[in-house]
Amino acid sequence: MKARSPLIAAVLLVCALSTACSQWRYDLGTPLTAIDLPQQNMLLAQALDLLGPPQRMSATDSGFVLAWEHWHIREDSIGLSLGALGADFLSADWGEMRVKGEFLLLTFDRQHLVTSATRSHWDNYGGGGKAIQPFLGFVSVVDAGDLIGPLPQHKWGSSLLQQLPDTLNMVSNPGSGQSGLQQRGTPTAIGQQSLEMD
Amino acid sequence: MKKTALSIALVLCVSLLGACAQFDSKRGVEVNWQTEVTDKLTKGESTRANVLALLGPPSQVIALDGETALYYLFEQSKGDGLILIVYNRMRIDTRYDRAIFFFNEHDVLTEYSTRIYQSDEG
Repeated sequence: MKARSPLIAAVLLVCALSTACSQWRYDLGTPLTAIDLPQQNMLLAQALDLLGPPQRMSATDSGFVLAWEHWHIREDSIGLSLGALGADFLSADWGEMRVKGEFLLLTFDRQHLVTSATRSHWDNYGGGGKAIQPFLGFVSVVDAGDLIGPLPQHKWGSSLLQQLPDTLNMVSNPGSGQSGLQQRGTPTAIGQQSLEMD
Repeated sequence: MKKTALSIALVLCVSLLGACAQFDSKRGVEVNWQTEVTDKLTKGESTRANVLALLGPPSQVIALDGETALYYLFEQSKGDGLILIVYNRMRIDTRYDRAIFFFNEHDVLTEYSTRIYQSDEG
């Protein structure tokens, strides 16, 4: 019995130090589910009363477009590393992300009347992965970075002070409010931001 | 025996070693669009100069083919977390206080809307 106690303690110590579980929860904006979709020809004033100020906005050729959004992101990961025991040669990680949200888009003509209204809901697997990495952890198995960034309005004042490719492409940037808008997580490698070479 | 007690104490220490974290992040313009401020504005009468004088520079100015829109945004994130080494949990809530004002080609206010998020703490 005496000989087994240190062994049990050591096993418990290994369990305590080698495994960890992390959960991240992001909630951006307020839910839109309870709000009815505005009808065509509704006045801008009525739409704003119903939904409040939009989170995204842009001019269009025939008027303008307003958008409201709500995102809930759930990121879970679990990792096993022997580093704490002085054997930092191997780590095993598993992680996954679920993305839930709503997006409501209204287009208006120059008379401030709704010309179209659409909304989408989603509750999807947002990616994840598994990794066994020796010595150093090179790869993050879950990445929510492109979904949790600040709204583009914050950057408007410094839009012409970005790196040269971004500045040269400013007329096509959806954050400018002049050339359309885009949802969080839209890939930038193709489309009107491809020249920014991010 | 002494070694065993020490080992068990060490395991307990590590198991119980925990931390909590709390943070908040604020970015954007000063929230000056409370009802008592916007009550001073009248659709069809107030001008862009009146709005700028009351609220200051906006986050964004949007040109709308003769019209303009001023957009004000204040973004606030609050996070709290539990760090127990073997189990860690973080929760981050982001809310947007915002206001939008539309002006016609004569710089007269045509529409506006404001929203200030009421936190759970009241």
